[in-house]
Amino acid sequence: MAMIQLFNVTKKYGADSAAVKDMTLQIAKGEFVYITGASGAGKTTLLRMLYSAEKPTKGQILIDRQNITRFNSRQIAFLRRKIGVVFQDFKLLQSRTVYENVAFALEAQGKKRYEVSKKVYQALKEVGLEHRLQRKPLELSGGEQQRIAIARALVVDPLILLADEPSGNLDQEVTFEIMDLFKRANARGTTVLLATHDHSLNKRFPRRVLTLEQGKLIGDQQPLAV
Amino acid sequence: MLDIIRYFIFRALRNMRQWPFLCFASVLTMAVALATVATFFLVVVNIDQLAARWTKEIQVIAYLKKAPTQNNIASLTRKLKQIPEVEAVKYVSPAVAMKRFKTHLGNDASLLEGVNKNLLPASFELGIRPEFRNQAGIATVINKLENQLEVDDLRYGQQWLERFNNFAEMLRFVSIVLGGFLLFATLFIVSNTIKLTLYARRDELEIMALVGATMRFIKIPFVLEGAIQGLLGGLLSLGFLALAFVFILNPSLESFWLTPSGFNLIFLSANQQIILVLSGVVLGVLGSLSSLRRFVRI
Repeated sequence: MAMIQLFNVTKKYGADSAAVKDMTLQIAKGEFVYITGASGAGKTTLLRMLYSAEKPTKGQILIDRQNITRFNSRQIAFLRRKIGVVFQDFKLLQSRTVYENVAFALEAQGKKRYEVSKKVYQALKEVGLEHRLQRKPLELSGGEQQRIAIARALVVDPLILLADEPSGNLDQEVTFEIMDLFKRANARGTTVLLATHDHSLNKRFPRRVLTLEQGKLIGDQQPLAV
Repeated sequence: MLDIIRYFIFRALRNMRQWPFLCFASVLTMAVALATVATFFLVVVNIDQLAARWTKEIQVIAYLKKAPTQNNIASLTRKLKQIPEVEAVKYVSPAVAMKRFKTHLGNDASLLEGVNKNLLPASFELGIRPEFRNQAGIATVINKLENQLEVDDLRYGQQWLERFNNFAEMLRFVSIVLGGFLLFATLFIVSNTIKLTLYARRDELEIMALVGATMRFIKIPFVLEGAIQGLLGGLLSLGFLALAFVFILNPSLESFWLTPSGFNLIFLSANQQIILVLSGVVLGVLGSLSSLRRFVRI
């Protein structure tokens, strides 16, 4: 069953500069997909369109068989509750504790307080940070901060996890730890899209690879052996 | 529902606690801005009141060609009282006029000895209703008087009235222009301060939108925060205003050379005080709403 479908999607920012050109693709439920390409190839734009931070200039995007290109702001908010997003720069609130950062995602959905505390603890335990609840993000290492961000993305049990260069600022060892978290989420049924230009990831964890170049999908490789 | 309201209030208060400086800056800006507008309003109101006091002195004196007979006085008085602009009518007989003149002369009253008691003309002194104490009102009264009495001469402080009218007009014009500027500046400063405080927290707004918070959910705590800050700003401005009133306005207006004795400066009425505080709330809410539009996009 398809979780993400793109039909002839084009995104233009100026009159003639297209970040994504006429892209058609399909990603099944539970898949793990790398999106690779040089900087400016359109990886980030593609992800932004998937969580509806951008609307395509042309074409249709379906997520979980719903056409999100026509969503209003309320529908977009509800769509995002099904999607976890992880960034290179973590996007954590520095003035809040680790606990509050993760709880934020549940509070934004209006969840009850007892429910929030239980789930936040589970999510932090999952990423191995349950002992850092009351710390502020800046007191932690980069790898730990990214794990908080991943806990925030996963605490809502998302259908899809989008990660935009999540290991861009981290060393190899930490990167592999984080990849492990993504794999575990994937094993639980979450569809994972990971934008990266780090080819070593694919070598170590071979998965389907979509290659972009100047906004075009130029390659769609299945792994040789899974 | 109650849970959500409690959560919103909790978040608004937590935001304020987490960003004490930003909160303080917004409250103070609103307080100073509101106090400035309110002080200006107070000055205008007091000068207006003072001006109204001066016009109390306005009266029209009609000197008659011939003193009316005793019977005529009452009917004339009744007739004059029927003029809608006239508030009070007083007949001054030649004898009374002479007596006043004597008092006026004081020690030199002996000069009048042997002078004919009816030398001075009889007159009617007409008090004018407050709403007609202006040039147009006086002109109407004079017109009617000339039709009803055999008037020898009319006195009503024409020059003074003209000057006063110009003054009142100028006061009105200046207060509208200055008040408009002040109000505009207030709105501008307050909305910019709120914009800055939101700018400092744009990450939070962005992340909230990212994790699926609805517009309403994002905005309500900020609007609530704006309202609370506006309320505090309004109350603080009332305090500033009271201080300004006691220490600056009162002494300076009291020493104003035209202030009649026994004149009490007025402070804002209870209703006006409530309006001042409420306008702080409105200012905070509108400022937050208009700034949020720029920072929250889903």
